[in-house]
Amino acid sequence: MATSVEYGDRQVAGGGAGAPASTPAASRPPRPSRWRRVRRDPGAVGIFLGLIVISGIMLYPFGFMILNSLRTETQYLSGRGFSLASWQILFGSLPVGDELLNSMLICVGAIAIILCCASAAGFAFAKLGFRGQGLLFFGIIGCMMIPVQSIIIPEYVNLANVHLINNYLAPILVYAALGLPFATFLMTVFFRGLPEELVEAALCDGMGYIGLFWRVGVRMAAPAFATIAVLQFIQIWDDLLVALLLLQEPTNRTITVGLGVLSSGHEVSVPALMAGSLVSALPAILVYLFFQRYLVSGLTMGVNR
Amino acid sequence: MTDAEAGRGTLAEGRARHLTLRPHRASGLARARGRAGVLLTVPALVIVLVLLVLPIGQAAYYSMTNWDGLTAQWVGPQTYLDLFESQTFWRVLENNGLLLLALPVAVFIPLVIAAMLHEHVWGWKVFRSLIFLPTAISWVVIGIVAMQVFAANGSVNGLLGALGLKSLEINFLGFEYSALGAVAATFIWSMVGTNTIIFLTGMSTIDPAIYEAARLDGAGRVRTFRHITLPLLKRYFQFGFVITTITAFTALFSLIFIMTEGGPGYGTTTLEFFVYQQAFAIGAFGTGAMVGIVLLVLIFGVNLLQMRILRVRD
Repeated sequence: MATSVEYGDRQVAGGGAGAPASTPAASRPPRPSRWRRVRRDPGAVGIFLGLIVISGIMLYPFGFMILNSLRTETQYLSGRGFSLASWQILFGSLPVGDELLNSMLICVGAIAIILCCASAAGFAFAKLGFRGQGLLFFGIIGCMMIPVQSIIIPEYVNLANVHLINNYLAPILVYAALGLPFATFLMTVFFRGLPEELVEAALCDGMGYIGLFWRVGVRMAAPAFATIAVLQFIQIWDDLLVALLLLQEPTNRTITVGLGVLSSGHEVSVPALMAGSLVSALPAILVYLFFQRYLVSGLTMGVNR
Repeated sequence: MTDAEAGRGTLAEGRARHLTLRPHRASGLARARGRAGVLLTVPALVIVLVLLVLPIGQAAYYSMTNWDGLTAQWVGPQTYLDLFESQTFWRVLENNGLLLLALPVAVFIPLVIAAMLHEHVWGWKVFRSLIFLPTAISWVVIGIVAMQVFAANGSVNGLLGALGLKSLEINFLGFEYSALGAVAATFIWSMVGTNTIIFLTGMSTIDPAIYEAARLDGAGRVRTFRHITLPLLKRYFQFGFVITTITAFTALFSLIFIMTEGGPGYGTTTLEFFVYQQAFAIGAFGTGAMVGIVLLVLIFGVNLLQMRILRVRD
C-alpha cells in the first residue's frame, strides 16, 4: 500500500525499511561530490533557483499574514512600524479559545464515527463475503461523487425537523457521512492487503468473525487510520459551509466559521483578520507538518480507484 | 485492486459456491461469515443512506416544487424548463465555464514544478514540503489573504506599478470579469500543492533505468520529459484533471463567500454558490435544491467521462 512508500522518492524494488542499514558504501558506485555534480550540470542550479522562487510564491501568504498581523490598521496602510495591538483586538472580538475547542470537538467526533464505521465496512468488504456485497460496495463508494451542495438543503431542513440545528451532533454527523465513502474505500483496499492466512489462523484459534475484525483487523490498521484521520481533520477543520449553516449561535461556532463571519462583517481591521487567520491555520499546519506522509498517501490513493 | 476486480471477485465466489457439491444451504461457517459481514456493514450503510442518499432523493423531489423550507407545492418538471430559460442561470453557468479555462493552467504549472522536484536537486525534500504546505490551510484563510492581495492597494497592483504598468492597475474585485479572474488565479495557486504531489508520486513510479537509457542516448531534460515522463503519467494526469475540475465546481464556496460573496452582480456566482444564495439568502429552497441536482449531474458526468477514457485506454 501507498503508506509505506515515501512519495516522490524513487521506489527501488526490494528496498525499504527491511534493508540492512549497514550496507557497505563500497558496494555502491562512488557518487561524485555534490559540488562536482553542480559544476557539471548547470541545469540543476537553474532548477534549484526556480524552486526557491516557487517556494517563495507558495509561502507568500504566510509571510503576509505574519507581517501584517503585527501591525495596526494605520501601520498596515503605511507599511511601516510594528505593534501587537491587532492581536489584542482579535482576542477581544473573537472567542478564539471556545472556537478552537468547538472545532476540535467536531473534528474528533466526526473522525471517530468515520474510523469505526469505515473500518468495519472495509473489513467486511475485503474479508467477509456475503450476498449483495459487490453492489453495496459500489453503492457506498459511488457516494464519493456527491457534492455537499447537492444535499445540504434537505439535510438542513431534516436536521431542523429533529431539532439538531445548533447541536454539535449535526455537523459531526454530516461530516462523518461526507467522509465515510472515501474512508470505506481506503479501508477496503487496506484490508485486502492483509494475508488470507492471518484470517484462517485466527479462525483456527477459535476467534469469531467479529473478534477477528476487532482483535486482528483493527490492531493492524493503524497506518490506514492515520491516513484517514489526517485527511479528514484538515478537511473538517477547514470547512465553512456545513458548520456555518448547522451551528448558528456565536458561542458554538468553529474557528473557521468564526473567522469567515468576522471577515464578511467588515468590522475588524485587516491586521486583526490576519491574526485570526494565523490562529485558525496553525492547528492544520501542525497536523500537516507532523503527518505529511499520511496526508499524501491518502491523497494519491484515489489514483488507483 | 480496482472496484471492477472486487465485483468480479464476489461473482467468482458465488460461482464457486454453486460448483461445490454442497447441500442447498451454505455451511454454518459460511453463514456466520456472511452474517458478520452484513453486521459490520450496517453502521456505514445506515449513515450513508440517511445522510447522503435520502437527501439526494429529497432534493430531486423538492427540485420540482416551489419549496420554501416549510411548505412545498408540486410543480413538476416545468421548474427545470424555467431554470434553463432564466438568464441568471446561464450567467452563473458561464462562470463555471470560464473557471474551466483555468484548468489547463492549474494542471500544467504543477506538472512543471513536479518535473523540477523530480530532478532531486539539493534540498528538494524541503522544497516539496514548502510547496505542499498551502494544502493544509482553509479556503477561508486563503480568501482573506487573496482579498488583500487583489485589493485596489494590494500587492498585485503594487507589482504592476513597479513594472511600469500603472495603466493596468484596477480594483480587481470591483468588476465582474476581473473578480472572476482573481478567484480563478487564487484557485490555481491553491491547486499547486495537490497536483504537484499527484504528479510527483506518479513520476516516482517510473523506473530510473528508463531515464538512464535516455540519458545515454543523449536526450536532454526537456526531451526526456516530453517523450518519457509525460506518456507514462497518463493515469496521474487524468486523476489530476478530475480532482481539479471537481474542486473548481464544488470546493470554491468558501473562497467566493469570503472574496466576493458572488459579486459584483453575478460576476463570481458559480453553481455551488448559487445553491447557497437561492436557499439561504432568498429562501427559494426548491430552486436551490434544483441547482444542487444540476451540479450533481455535472459532477457525475465528469466522473463518467474519466472512467470511459480510462477504459478505452487500458
